Amino acid sequence: MMNHASSQSDRTCCCAVAPPPEPVRPAPVSGAFDLIDHFGRAVNERSYGDRHLLLFFGFTHCAVVCPRELAKLERALGLLGPLASAIQPLYVTVDPARDDPGAMQRYLSQFGAGFIGLTGTAEQVEAAKKSFRVFAEPVQDAAAPGGYAVPHTAFAYFMAPGGRYKAHFSDSLDAEMVAQRMRRHLG
Amino acid sequence: MNDDANLGVLDDRQAGHLRHFANLSRQPVNDWSLMQGRGTGQDDFGGYRFQLAYMAYAMALAHRHRLPAAPGVFKPVFERFMEKMLLPEVWMYWARVSRGGSVFNMHLADQLSEDWNPVGRDNIMYSAYVQSMASLYNYLFDDDRYAAPGALTFKYWSFFWGGKERRFEYDQNSLNEHIYWQMVESGYLGVACEPNCVFQICNQPAILGFRMHDLVNGGSIAAEVTDAYQKAWARFGRLGSNGHYNMMMAQDTQAVRENLGPSPWVDAWCGTLMNMWNRDFVHAHYPSQIRGWLMEGTNGALSVRSAVRPEVMGQKVVSDDSDFGWAATWASEMGDSDTLQGLLTHAERFMGPAWRNGGFYFPRNDTTEDAQGNRTLVEPMTGNVLLGYASLNVPNGLWRLYNEPWDANHHTNPALVRVDEGVDVLQARFDEASLQLRFTLRPCAAGRHLGSKVVVGRMSGRGAWTLQCGGGIVARGVEGRVELSSGGLGVQATKDGVELSTPPDGSSFVMQFEDA
Repeated sequence: MMNHASSQSDRTCCCAVAPPPEPVRPAPVSGAFDLIDHFGRAVNERSYGDRHLLLFFGFTHCAVVCPRELAKLERALGLLGPLASAIQPLYVTVDPARDDPGAMQRYLSQFGAGFIGLTGTAEQVEAAKKSFRVFAEPVQDAAAPGGYAVPHTAFAYFMAPGGRYKAHFSDSLDAEMVAQRMRRHLG
Repeated sequence: MNDDANLGVLDDRQAGHLRHFANLSRQPVNDWSLMQGRGTGQDDFGGYRFQLAYMAYAMALAHRHRLPAAPGVFKPVFERFMEKMLLPEVWMYWARVSRGGSVFNMHLADQLSEDWNPVGRDNIMYSAYVQSMASLYNYLFDDDRYAAPGALTFKYWSFFWGGKERRFEYDQNSLNEHIYWQMVESGYLGVACEPNCVFQICNQPAILGFRMHDLVNGGSIAAEVTDAYQKAWARFGRLGSNGHYNMMMAQDTQAVRENLGPSPWVDAWCGTLMNMWNRDFVHAHYPSQIRGWLMEGTNGALSVRSAVRPEVMGQKVVSDDSDFGWAATWASEMGDSDTLQGLLTHAERFMGPAWRNGGFYFPRNDTTEDAQGNRTLVEPMTGNVLLGYASLNVPNGLWRLYNEPWDANHHTNPALVRVDEGVDVLQARFDEASLQLRFTLRPCAAGRHLGSKVVVGRMSGRGAWTLQCGGGIVARGVEGRVELSSGGLGVQATKDGVELSTPPDGSSFVMQFEDA
């Protein structure tokens, strides 16, 4: 039976024909959103000019994951030095019932790096979650402020200017690794 | 890592199970003889997709642990299983099941629509097997054929139905990515089988697929997913109030359905697989879980107690649960040799083992028990697949496949790269320390027409070698060249390596390479 593809261990030969380019696949997330920033302005994925976007989804009453991850992303951006000016960090709420623009702005004032908070109507936030394939479902929690929490995906999404998906960084990566990967994508 | 070197040669039953897998793989397109179970329309746990996938997994375990230097035994069979896996007969149930699936989904009936793409959404009970089989193949055989664009295409057109061809093109990488993002969207609780129904069991093959993808391509998707899976399920508990694995969760309500039976298949199927990434947890709970349904017979035999399935909507639920088969696979993975031997003893005694064209299996038997109350029920999944899987597996076999990958030399070490299907290979191992390839061949009388030759390949750069059989040298050469051939074995050079014929009575060989 003929092999349809060569063995990968054969590809080290210097005479070997260069492998075909990787097929272009559609991006796993669409990256589109229509939300309100914490200044009250309507924004979307194209609102940030030639800057890359670093998005993290969470909610201001999040006790552990969001403070930890936002602090980490702040450090990662700091490690980029002047390159960080090419990136707009965004924090998108998954709890629009409580996180209006004012709440977002107050919450983000404790972090540096120029984070802008994004919120909107329940429908707008739901559409943004779908666009980024974010999991976030409110659950009753008597110990949580307001009696509920919103467990959520803890990825940071890195998007090219205009909102095209480039990468995502899971919460298992430390600040140095996130910075390294962003630097690679910034070229 | 070298525990396997002490395993010895395959016994008749083990070789017979492998041959039965191969026999089924050679059946013509849509000839599903011996594989049809009691369920209808591929809806239940005995469906073709499960049999094909777990035969592939069983072969992976046999290759990894027992015959690591015989890819020629497994590769062609694996490819034929993959071809069958892509046949519409295996996945067309999804066009119906996508519209509602389980009885639990009646409230969703107006929200779900017919979907012909068998991997587009949900249906992890099929998509994960295609995903994991493809990456497993790449890893085991260093062959990325399923990474080619469109290599995993699901297509269907019928003259009798009309309309355009339904065609959905994927490859092992795009499918892996697709399933990964479904996992992310689920909050790592898992991708649904039938809509809205997330089973712990059915997300384990996806994890195997992620790990194989990581081993082939680099990355750590499997670690990310398993870490997040544990955190996600921590809120609900992976075990129910009775200590058995929770069976499933409804996505819309997040209501968890426990294994109240308890049914052996729920614990055993989950444990067989979950051990690969969560060994301590699975081992810790195993003893108490099997006590819930393992039954002692006479003279060392062991069997299982199946939970009575209540009627639903006035209907009897028909499903090839394969309780007995899964119990055996789990015992094999746990290294519980006493339980495994007890179950196999029961199977030999009461489940009608048979030989067919040199293959060994347990034929389907729908009778639940004999007059003495001994379990005789054999589903095709149990009889074709799971008892073979259990016999071929080694303690923590799947854990070791997952956690102890072959080193970089493996795919360049000499091996039996081609094996005619009339040959049983009972041993094939290359020892890097001694530079010896040891293999034992036996012709299969029933498979005589399938050829009796084997080819030793990957000889390039290996220098001079001798081939010994029966205490004497029967051939000698340098790399792929044969300089001496005697003993009537027809040793000759071919483009793939050194070919020889299997002696009529079988024999053991040692190919000794010089220290280059």
